[in-house]
Parts: sequence; C-alpha cells; structure tokens
Amino acid sequence: MKQLLNQKPIILLISALLLGALFILPLIVTSPSLMQIIILIVLYAYFTSTWNFVGGFAGVLPLGHSAFIGIGAYTSTVLFQTFGISPWFGMIVGGLLASLVGVIIGLPTLKLRGAYFALATIAVGEGMRVLFENVKQVGPFKINGPSGISLPLMESSFWTFQFGSKATYYYIILIMLLVVLLLTYFMMNSKVGYYLAAGGEEPEAAEALGIKVSRYKLIAMAISCFLAALGGTFYAQLMLYFYPKSIMGLDLSFEIAFIALIGGRGTILGPVLGALLLRPVSELTRIYLGASLPGLHLVIFGLILIVVMRYYPKGLVEPIKKLIDRFIHKPARGKADDPSNPSARQE
Amino acid sequence: MALLEVKNVTKRFSGLIAVNDVSMSVEEGQIVGVIGPNGAGKTTLFNCIAGALPPSSGSILFDGQEVAGKKPYQICQAGVTRTFQVVKPFATKTVLYNTVVGAFATTQHLHEAETKAIEVLKFLDLYNKRDVVSQSLTLPERKKLELARALATEPKLLLLDEVMAGLRPQEVTEMLPIIRKINETGVTIVIVEHIMQAIMNLSEKIYVISFGKKIAEGDPHDVVSDEEVIKAYLGDEYVATQH
Amino acid sequence: MLGIIEALINGVLMGSIYGLTAVGLTLIFGVMKVINFAHGSILMVGMFSAYWFVKLTGLNPYLAIPVVVPFLFYFGYFMQSWIIRPIFEAEKDVREPITVIIVTTGIWYVLDNLSLLFFGAEYRVVKTSVTGKIFEFYDMYFLLPKIIGAGITILCAIYLYWFLKHSKMGKAIRATSLDREAASLMGIKQSKIYNIAFGMGCACCGMAACVLIPFYYVYPTVGVPFDIKAFIIVVLGGLGSIPGAIIGGIIVGIIENVGAQFMASTWTELLLYGVFLFVLLVKPSGLFGMKQDF
Repeated sequence: MKQLLNQKPIILLISALLLGALFILPLIVTSPSLMQIIILIVLYAYFTSTWNFVGGFAGVLPLGHSAFIGIGAYTSTVLFQTFGISPWFGMIVGGLLASLVGVIIGLPTLKLRGAYFALATIAVGEGMRVLFENVKQVGPFKINGPSGISLPLMESSFWTFQFGSKATYYYIILIMLLVVLLLTYFMMNSKVGYYLAAGGEEPEAAEALGIKVSRYKLIAMAISCFLAALGGTFYAQLMLYFYPKSIMGLDLSFEIAFIALIGGRGTILGPVLGALLLRPVSELTRIYLGASLPGLHLVIFGLILIVVMRYYPKGLVEPIKKLIDRFIHKPARGKADDPSNPSARQE
Repeated sequence: MALLEVKNVTKRFSGLIAVNDVSMSVEEGQIVGVIGPNGAGKTTLFNCIAGALPPSSGSILFDGQEVAGKKPYQICQAGVTRTFQVVKPFATKTVLYNTVVGAFATTQHLHEAETKAIEVLKFLDLYNKRDVVSQSLTLPERKKLELARALATEPKLLLLDEVMAGLRPQEVTEMLPIIRKINETGVTIVIVEHIMQAIMNLSEKIYVISFGKKIAEGDPHDVVSDEEVIKAYLGDEYVATQH
Repeated sequence: MLGIIEALINGVLMGSIYGLTAVGLTLIFGVMKVINFAHGSILMVGMFSAYWFVKLTGLNPYLAIPVVVPFLFYFGYFMQSWIIRPIFEAEKDVREPITVIIVTTGIWYVLDNLSLLFFGAEYRVVKTSVTGKIFEFYDMYFLLPKIIGAGITILCAIYLYWFLKHSKMGKAIRATSLDREAASLMGIKQSKIYNIAFGMGCACCGMAACVLIPFYYVYPTVGVPFDIKAFIIVVLGGLGSIPGAIIGGIIVGIIENVGAQFMASTWTELLLYGVFLFVLLVKPSGLFGMKQDF
C-alpha cells in the first residue's frame, strides 16, 4: 500500500479522476445496449486479468481458460435451479470447484514445457466442452447437453443475482475487476510474484535459488481458476442463457489469450488495455457487419495480434506507458533522468 | 566435522560412469577447487552436490545432514547455493529484481528482501547497475549478477561452476579478489574451474578428477607437481593456459 | 466380429492420412521447436484449393496433387519467412517462444474466418470419379478413395523419411534440428532451412488435402478436428519423430473407428482427448519414447 501511494502526485490525481469517471459512467450512459457493451469490456478485462495470474506470470500459455469460466457458470446455475441456492453462494462453490479442477490439471501439466502446456490446456478446454455437450443430466442437475441452460427470469433482487438495471451489473463487475487488479498488484510485489516470475523465466536458476517452482505455479493456477469461475457466474447471471460452445469453447479461450498478449501479459493494466481495444472492435463488427460478414471480427483480432506481436512482442502497454511518461515528465526533464533522484525510481 | 562431506559418490548414465567413487571433504571457511580436463566428470559431480542430478550411489553430507538425491531447491534451503557456468539471469528483469529473488530465500517481506539485495549489490559493486535489465549486461557483469543472486540467499556453502569461463584474462584477475572477498565474509566456497592459474591462486585445497575418478588431492602446489596429474591432465592443459 | 475388423482397417486407412498431417507438424517442430497451431487451417486451405481445382476443371482429384502440393509448399514457405520469422528472431533468446505460439494461433484464426467470409459455413462435397466407389473384401466394405489415400500417404511418408536421411537438403534440415548453432557454423543458412521445413510441413497438408477431397466434406473449420488430432498424434508418437507420427496417426484412427462401434462419435472425441491428456501426463516424450528420429 505504501508503494501504491508513493507514486507521483500527478499520476495519483489522474488515477483518482479516472476511477471517479468509471463510477459515474452509468449516470451518463443511459442506453442499455451501450451499457451492455461496456459491461462486456469490463468482464473481458476481468477474465483476462484472471488469466494473467498463470499466463502472465508463470511463463506458460494457457489456451483453455474458458473451461474454468464454464465451471463457474454451470455450478452456480445448477445449484440455483435445483436447490434454489443463491448464485452468490454458488459463485463461491463454483470458484472452489474450478480451483480444484485447475490444481488437478495443473499438477502434472505445469511441469510441461511451453508448447506442451499450451497443447494440454487446449485439450482440457475442448475436452471439457465436449463433455458438457454430451451430458444432459448429472444426478439431480440438468445441464441439457449442447442446448445449454436458460435461467428463469426472477424479480430483481440481490439474493437472486438478477437486476433490472444494467448499472447494477456494471458496478458488480467493475468492483470485481478492481479487486482482481489490486490482487495482481499485491502479488507482483510479493514473494509469490517474484518467485513466479523467476520460475517462469529460468526454472533451473529459480530452483537453484531455493524456489519450488511447481508449487508457486500451482498457487497461481488455483487463484486464477477460482477468480475465472466467479466471472463465469457473473456471465451466466448477466446473459441468463448459456451453452457449452458459448462459454467453454476455444473461441473464448483464444480471445482471452489474444487480449492478454495484445495488451501486455504479465502487466497489471495490459488486460484492461487489451479488452478496451478489442471488445469494441468485436462488438462493432458484430453489430454492423455480423449478418453479412460472420467471423470478420475474428479475422481482425488475428491480424491485430500478428501485427502487435511483430512490432511490440511485449504488448501495447509498454509503448503507451512510454508515451504517457514522456507527456508527464516533459516539464521535469533532466530531473527524472537523474539516477540520484530517488523519486525517479520505483522502489 | 567437515562442512561438506562427499563419500564414495558414483553417477552412472546408462552404462557410462561419469563419476566413479569420488570422495572429498570441505572444511568450513575454505576455498576448495575441483579441476580436471573436459568431460572428466567434474560438472557431473558438481550437479550431484547441487541436486540437479541424483547420485547413483554414495552419500553427500552437508552440515551433518544427508543431502544426496534432494531437489535443488531443498539443497539451497539447506544452505548450499550454486551458480551456473552458462549464466541464467532472469533476462527481462532488472539486476535488483534478480537479486531480490535470491534474497527472498531468507524473508517473506519485499522490503527486507530489497534491503538485503541492495547490500549484496553494493558489496559486489553492482549497485549502480541495479536498474539495468539483465539481458543488456556484459558477460563479466552477468557473472557477477549470478554471484549476487546466489549470495543474497545467504548460503553457508557457495558452489561456483566455472565462474571464470569465457572471461578475458584481465577480467579473470578482476574476478579473483571478488571471490576471495566473498570467502572472507565467512562463506565456504567450492569452485569447479578450468583455468588453472585462477584456481591455484585461490584454493587452499585441490581435487583433481580424470575419467570420473579422483586422481589427486591436497595443496595446490603439491598437486601440480604430482606425476599422475601432469600425465593425466596438466600436461597439455597447463602449458596451454600459460600462454 | 467382422464389423470390428472392418472398423480396424478403416481406422488404419484414415489414421495414415491423419498421420501425414501430423508428419508435417512434427517436421516443423523438429526443426524450429515451434508447434504450428495453424496446421489444421493450412490443411483447410489445401482442401479448399483441391476442392476448387476439381470443381472448376472436373479433372481426376489426384491430378490436383501437382498443383496443390507446390502451392501449399510456397504458402508455408512465405508464411514462415514473412510472418513467423521476424517474431521468431525477436524471441531467439527466450526459453519459451510464447509469442510464436500465439502468432500461429492468430494465423489459425485469420485463415479459418477468412474462409468463412469467402466461402460461407456450408459443408461442401465434390463428386469425383472415385467418390463413393466401394471396395469389397470378404464381406467387408471400404471406400476406394480411402484406400488410395492411405497408400499415397504411406508412400509420401517413406519418401520424406528417405529424403531427410539421404538427400543433401535433408541432411541440412536434420543438422539444424539437432543443433542450430553448430549447423549455422557449418554454413547452413538457418532461416532458409526454416522456410523450407515450414514449406514441407505445409506441403504434407496439401498432400493430405488432395487425398481427402474425394470422400470428405470441406468447410471453413474443417481444420480444427484435424488440428487437434494432429496435436494428439505428435505427442503420442513423440514430437519430432516421423515414424512416430505415422504410428500415432494409425492409433488415433483405430481409436476413433473402433470406438465408434461401441459409442456415439461425440464420445469417441472425448475418448481421444482423454488418451491425449493421459499420454501428456504420463509420458510427454511420446508413447514410443522416440527422441529426434530424423
């Protein structure tokens, strides 16, 4: 926290203003469809931030993250449908379940090298989708195979996690995102964060420095899957209808990975930036060209990804940060470059 | 009691015996050198001690504790830290970050780890490079960073794997006092090395390994004059490094 | 009983064709240590090329081979030299070239969805002189194009194996796959080898595409199941091994076809994922424990 407040006052001021703007946004935006787009941007930033714990810091490329989102959505929904348990509670159950599945899968796969891990996660993600498409019912729980589940419309209340106003959904996901970003920040500045980064970059050297690399990767996996599943519940409550392909497929997993890499994996704001850039592209092409040109937004995604990786392999956060830095530091030039000036360093 | 006691360690790779029944002992505070021609098995022996490879048989006692077959991170936690011949910095991270990773071995808090890391960096004259990303360091600097990271874990025993390899003669002469300085702070050092002169100057005791077997041990100057050593190894190698 | 034998043989036939796509994947991995996630999409490009060739000329589908295979070779060659190489070089020192993996995934997405834009989502099938021809053997029935396809595939794999073992270019490719630096010190130009290896990997897809056309549907995402099967196969057979890829392919074909005798096809898909994960977890070096075999 001390470090958080140690930033330059101008940066703190801008951040506070931005944050304030985010919170009064629903007062300005009145169109529900525009609000829906904004909610999805925040939701994707959230998904990608949860991905970041493994994909960004542990040095591997998970391509099956949607499996855990799906587990969250299915768990809370079937618990609500079958026993009337509040989705808020189901959310936690889903999170724990996803965490458990993540650890079981991660235990052997996180030891694999990059390409193998990516392959294994694709298999897990796709396997999970096929499994859910094949199963109509598990014990008392109806999951309806490929046709998916639609939630019954309830009256707007906190208990049922259904709200008449989009703004409520917006505030919920915004707070979820901010919590995850804070968590990311604290993790990056903790032993776990340092150890994860070390193990991701040079596992052999990390082991030689006393780090049990696989243990830290598992911790990251457990956190990441837990948080992803919470987002899955949110998605289910927002859409009130989902099916395996919509929530567990390769498309969602890839989109998350693309957002992360374009924004900047392993950074706090990368996922947010990536979602801010890509989601509108996706929504706009879908709205205006979706009928005549299906799949166009995915072509654009792919092309953006290829171009960004070509010129900014670390993602767009870095060049944008430099741009902002130059803008802010311009008046105080020379001072900032002086290494003896302690305020120029982030310690 | 010796700090490190290697007893009859053998390492086999499907048919090939890389280390054959080697014993050695290192007293606290010593600098001990292990030399031998390429492929003699000294790196394999080193890896057995550091935990990168489990020995096929034999025992390795550190501080009276059996460490043979333990994982590298356990061995580090026990107080033995190694460096790598081919340096392995966390390439996209700064010098300070790299060192902090090492310093976390003894603390849970970032603040304490940073204090410790800065102390080590100052000790090794790397402090003014602290914000440089490690992939843009020169080779001698990377070697020093490797040392800094290892030192930050506060080891009792430091295992140096060919820390001079690839350095120019002048850089070697700069490295020697650093190693001696580390030793003076109370860290015991085992150094596997190819460059004879370097090790002759540093070590109190030398082990010579050839074809997986220990062929000589003792005072560097006695070892050099040992007939078998000259025949097995020093003959070509020593003359070559003289020029 | 006869049904199972029939399924077994069908599995071997289909499996060898899977095997050929996997050979391409394994070849690229062996040389560049990069898994080409876009491999299935390359196959899709090959299948559409072959489809349009046959549709427009009305010629025998196997006559598409001399057109489609070189086309895909150059497709792969330039894809590597224009898109992948610059990214690969920027990440040369990085242990895990994640950027390269994600870029091949990006290519997968672009190709699949471009073809969706151009050709629409419908399943297409082309009627050729061999389509639907049945070969009868002791009361068992096999599709003639499958038999021809498997035959061509096996010949191709044998040729490739020979090429890598004995030709000059093959030796250069093998040398690069064993030790990049040493090979480049010996005067082998790495980037060219990469281009050629990538081209050859894609050409394998072209060959598989041509033999698939007479009896398989073409649609924009046709590559995805093949892609995933190819991943399964290369891991099963050991990444980098050509015989491993063919044998792995045959195993996958058998699981799929014999499995279909006992369960719905969606469950055999799940079974394949299960086998894949099992192999990845138990023996990531592949069932046969082959290391770089070529």
